[in-house]
Amino acid sequence: MAKKHKPAPMVEEVSDFEILEVAVRELAIEKGLFSAEDHQRWTEYMHTLSPLPAARLVAKAWLDPEYKKLAVTDGVKASLEVGIDWVNSMPTKFGTPSDYCNLRVLEDTPKLKHVVVCTLCSCYPRPILGQSPEWYRTPNYRRRLVRWPRQVLSEFGLQLPEDVEIRVADSNQKTRFIVLPVRPEGTEGWSEDQLAEIVTRDCLIGVAVPKPSKTQNDKRPVHPAVRPVEHH
Amino acid sequence: MSRSHHADKATGIGDPQCFKGEAGPAKFKLGDKVRVKDLPDIFYTRTQVYTRGAIATVVELVYESPAAEDEAWDNVDNPQWFYSVVFRQKDLWPEYPDVYANDTVETELPEFWLESA
Repeated sequence: MAKKHKPAPMVEEVSDFEILEVAVRELAIEKGLFSAEDHQRWTEYMHTLSPLPAARLVAKAWLDPEYKKLAVTDGVKASLEVGIDWVNSMPTKFGTPSDYCNLRVLEDTPKLKHVVVCTLCSCYPRPILGQSPEWYRTPNYRRRLVRWPRQVLSEFGLQLPEDVEIRVADSNQKTRFIVLPVRPEGTEGWSEDQLAEIVTRDCLIGVAVPKPSKTQNDKRPVHPAVRPVEHH
Repeated sequence: MSRSHHADKATGIGDPQCFKGEAGPAKFKLGDKVRVKDLPDIFYTRTQVYTRGAIATVVELVYESPAAEDEAWDNVDNPQWFYSVVFRQKDLWPEYPDVYANDTVETELPEFWLESA
């Protein structure tokens, strides 16, 4: 008698939300709201996005006071100089309900530190910053940052003195935000390329500040739950 | 109204840029103190519950647009001014530590949610 094998473990390759997305997408294509080609073009566009243009914008602003002025008054216009056209880069040419065409660049000072969240969902300046990190979309970050910003920032390793104002920007309508951090000491004489390298995605969201030696995001700290949910 | 009216209006211009000039004169100006009304929101809103009833300062007139409450139902007939407003954390969360009294939250609200304070 052949040896009885255990069945191979099931791999849940597709989540319920992915199934829902496929169903809605197929209905929309059937209804003619957009075509399969439109969808493919959009997907391919989304895969081209990254935080590099935003890092470049910050580096340019550090080096050029006129450009900095433009960046903080008209983020959309300033984006053009780093290759991002908020209106026409998108395959739709008009934005989408999650990618509206309004960018504000929030300028930090030694006494003011901005940090961005979307408490209602997960609005994020994707055209200039790429896809949001997973933690940015979690209820944990969204609920806590707006209420306990100092605790949350310290979990990211960022402790700020009492006399620094923390300003949480809650991205709840059609504006998307990036942070223009203070240029760190130790970068005197650096080129735009060198400066852009230390402006990480986390610096642009505001949960980190640029440091001369740092070109990578930290791993997000994971703390065990104080009162873990019991699974039955 | 066609399903593509939004695309027709915003293509090549952008949203919210396509509503520029449609809201009329703004009711509030920079530096004004405003209170967030506590309106019913049984269908859709983007006005966070934590802001209701709190007083904030207008720091920027950001753009003109229909409110999310209207636009969610395809109603783009009443564009209005949107304001970026700043709350003191202490005014939102009474237990916020006094030692960090300077900390703030900035967010955007459409005109119909605001009244002079």
